[in-house]
Amino acid sequence: MTAATPPAAGQPAIRPQPSGPAAATGVGGAALLVGTRIALWLGVQLLLAALLLLAGQAATGGEALNEAAGWWMVYMALVDLATLGVIAWLLRRDGGTYRSLLGPPAAAWQVALGALGVLAASVPAVVLSGELTSALYGDGAIPPMLAVVDVPPLAGVVSALVVPLLAELAEPVAYLGVILPRLEARLGRPWLAAAIVVAVWAGEHAFFPLLVDGGGLDLEFAAYRVLSVLPFLAIWTALYYTFERRLLPIMTARWIFNGGTALALALGLVE
Amino acid sequence: MHNRTLYQLTWLAAAMSLGHHLDHLIRHNAVGWPLTDQVNAFTASLVVYPVIATGLLLYRAGRVGPGFWALVSGGGAVFVSAVHFGPAAVEPPELILDHYDPPILGWLAFAWLAAFVAVLAITSLYETRVWWQQRQARRATRPAADAGNTR
Repeated sequence: MTAATPPAAGQPAIRPQPSGPAAATGVGGAALLVGTRIALWLGVQLLLAALLLLAGQAATGGEALNEAAGWWMVYMALVDLATLGVIAWLLRRDGGTYRSLLGPPAAAWQVALGALGVLAASVPAVVLSGELTSALYGDGAIPPMLAVVDVPPLAGVVSALVVPLLAELAEPVAYLGVILPRLEARLGRPWLAAAIVVAVWAGEHAFFPLLVDGGGLDLEFAAYRVLSVLPFLAIWTALYYTFERRLLPIMTARWIFNGGTALALALGLVE
Repeated sequence: MHNRTLYQLTWLAAAMSLGHHLDHLIRHNAVGWPLTDQVNAFTASLVVYPVIATGLLLYRAGRVGPGFWALVSGGGAVFVSAVHFGPAAVEPPELILDHYDPPILGWLAFAWLAAFVAVLAITSLYETRVWWQQRQARRATRPAADAGNTR
């Protein structure tokens, strides 16, 4: 909203401020969040691969990592729980509430309408990502990170019902609610802070799942992961500003999108 | 009362539209009148420039507001998506991706198109929000004005 735009009834006449806490921990807190997430992605996958090796379920380290990759939608819960833990620690240290990270209040119908808008605006990202998948893995191929998912039914239920919810409570809140305001405060340029957040957020996706191909890490897949999520994250970050830093519409749309994908996988609808 | 962000987003969308039309010119496929005799989606899409120019003049004169721009941007997003992305797309992604050498240029042109549609959709959502806020503000001030008139 610009100064020339009349404010909505009952809303303050000033532009909403970054929703994060005053941030005594500053950019250090942001780095802690990103570092925790990446370290956990790597740590959990390596630990699981080591256990598979020890149990004789895999003959080589590469095979063990590929086996572990099949569970990434389940152990994602650990990463998101740890993220929530770090967010809680930062809130306790800097002050503020979790609710304050979600931005100004919005009625349920506004959240629902906003989520529909987020889904509609995500169509170009879906198309771009789909074309990238076709170009790299063939026409009609399903993305490798979905193709590798191979878990028993109970774990499938967890990955479809619990993990997407945890992911929405943790991931967008961490990047848009905590990291972005801190970078904005440090850099003084919202566009630069947003660009860095989108780049780092996309970069994190290179670390899960780790796939091994021909004796080494599959770097083409890692690059594909980053490039395929980049348009989604750019659009969602732009919408975060469009909705005056309200996170709930974005979280809801992401939950429908990611939860729907996980449910389709659990039900065996993606072959 | 003019919204600076609305102006910036409109100019950005117009520039991206121009870039996409340049992509058509370079590929020289899926083009129509005035470059060929055929009247098609390309021809229809050119109407956006007079619409934007007229809209800017009317907006400056206070004759149209963000609701008008939300319809223009949203309509543009639907039109470009239907032409390029829909199941019945007359110009599917392959027409862009497979017509450049080196192929990376095709990917850049396609990424430009995706970004263009995203900008249109985000702009439309922004303009809808501004329209809604202005409507709410008008409603909030109207009862007070009406009450003043009865005295």
